[in-house]
Amino acid sequence: MSYLLAKSKDDDILKAGECGGAVTSIFKYLLDNGIVDGVLAIRPGDDIYDGVPTFVTDSEDLLATAGSYHCSPTMIGELVRKYLFDKKVAVAVKPCDMRAVDELIKRNKINSDNIYTVGLNCGGTVSPITARKMIDLFYGVDPDDVLSEEIDKGQFIIELKDGSEKGVKIHELEHEGFGRRENCQRCDVKIPRRANIACGNWGAEDGWTFIEINDERGEELIEGAKKANILDTKTPSENSIEARSKVEGIMIKMAQKNQNANFDGANEMEEWNRCIKCYACRDVCPICWCYENCELNKSYFKEAGSVPPEPIAFQGVRLSHMSFSCVDCGQCDDVCPSDIPVSLIFDKLQKKYYDRTGYIAGVSDEKPPLYSPEKSEL
Amino acid sequence: MSDDIKIVGLLCNWCCYGGADTAGTARMQYPPNVRIIRVMCSGRINPSLVFKAFEEGADGVFVGGCHIGDCHYDAGNYKWSRRAKIVQDIIEEFGIEKERFRFEWISASEGEKFQKTMKEFHNTLKEIGPRTNTKTASK
Repeated sequence: MSYLLAKSKDDDILKAGECGGAVTSIFKYLLDNGIVDGVLAIRPGDDIYDGVPTFVTDSEDLLATAGSYHCSPTMIGELVRKYLFDKKVAVAVKPCDMRAVDELIKRNKINSDNIYTVGLNCGGTVSPITARKMIDLFYGVDPDDVLSEEIDKGQFIIELKDGSEKGVKIHELEHEGFGRRENCQRCDVKIPRRANIACGNWGAEDGWTFIEINDERGEELIEGAKKANILDTKTPSENSIEARSKVEGIMIKMAQKNQNANFDGANEMEEWNRCIKCYACRDVCPICWCYENCELNKSYFKEAGSVPPEPIAFQGVRLSHMSFSCVDCGQCDDVCPSDIPVSLIFDKLQKKYYDRTGYIAGVSDEKPPLYSPEKSEL
Repeated sequence: MSDDIKIVGLLCNWCCYGGADTAGTARMQYPPNVRIIRVMCSGRINPSLVFKAFEEGADGVFVGGCHIGDCHYDAGNYKWSRRAKIVQDIIEEFGIEKERFRFEWISASEGEKFQKTMKEFHNTLKEIGPRTNTKTASK
């Protein structure tokens, strides 16, 4: 594990990318040298609240994917499993994406030889609807006038068409019920250390990207990009390394505070009783890969007219299948038509499982202990 | 039946089921509330079986397997022991008291232990009372 600061040598990328454009440059290097078939990244659709996952095969198209998209939470892991299993891909991953990719690798649903993961440090994402509302309410700005957004130093900052910037403290936004998605407020994995490299601006000098190299593959990536004369690097000072770990520490502490506040307050039975058994949470879950042969579809659990479902025979079964591997990505919260805080309860169970076994989904090296053939009791 | 407590017992063929047999042939009295389902190994039992029993209106679910180290299939009961912990965690989230789920290692010769366990489990369930279940209540 080593640290470095990096910046693109390409002027176009430098302009389009955020803090030095190192990520986009690394993708360009991988594509131009034929190391990967394509890059899975997000490009804006109609506006900044609309992120569209794109499979880029021509490095010319990479520029459109540069920049940050905090307002369009997308799940990368499931896309790779579903559509790109037999391709060599490079992906930009948030920590929860990386954890999902890791869990799917453990289940042999993603081939680890075929995937290059460029991690992005993440302080949290904002739901597009919430983002529009709070930009209107707190910033007094028409949401459509926003050119780009950024999260920095505890503030959610928007840049307007006339070039001016406006920031409001995330803490204040969340106090009023806006701000980051609830699962992000609880999330305590802020740096994706299972990815080949983890990039971000925490602790970096202006115009540079701070990169943590996590494994040999990450080392090869950086060395290659340097040799291809596309990436400029230097060693970070002690101060920046310290500043970065300080930011991470503060974020994790805040997340743990939110966990403690929310886990006990959940009234599960009241929440479950709103369930209409639409299966959306299962279908969207990146860990639930076998839903074509799902136990919930078996005749003994799928009786006609059993709506609302007996909660334990629906959510209980789902919990027993994958709660120990819940990566807290919050996709289930986003799709639930009854606004059940599904991820809150799944995440709570994964934390309980951690207390029993020490297993953290998508972070620990080994497979979940539930899959272990070992002759040992918990 | 004198009281209306329903217990579903999932027993491993090689040990606990034999234990229940031993209790029966020795004419040991134990509460008749337990409905026994024989499975080939406790390692075959998954949480869904337990949840299905609760869904259908069981007041308590009992799982019996071989003693650790004695599994007929080498490691089945280790696997069940790991799953059992998850079941304990999950049923709490559904308003089911954790005392309603119990698992025990009982060998084929331990008829007495089977009798004792059933009596204890029945008493515990009698204290908590029958379970209100939305599905069976509406029927």
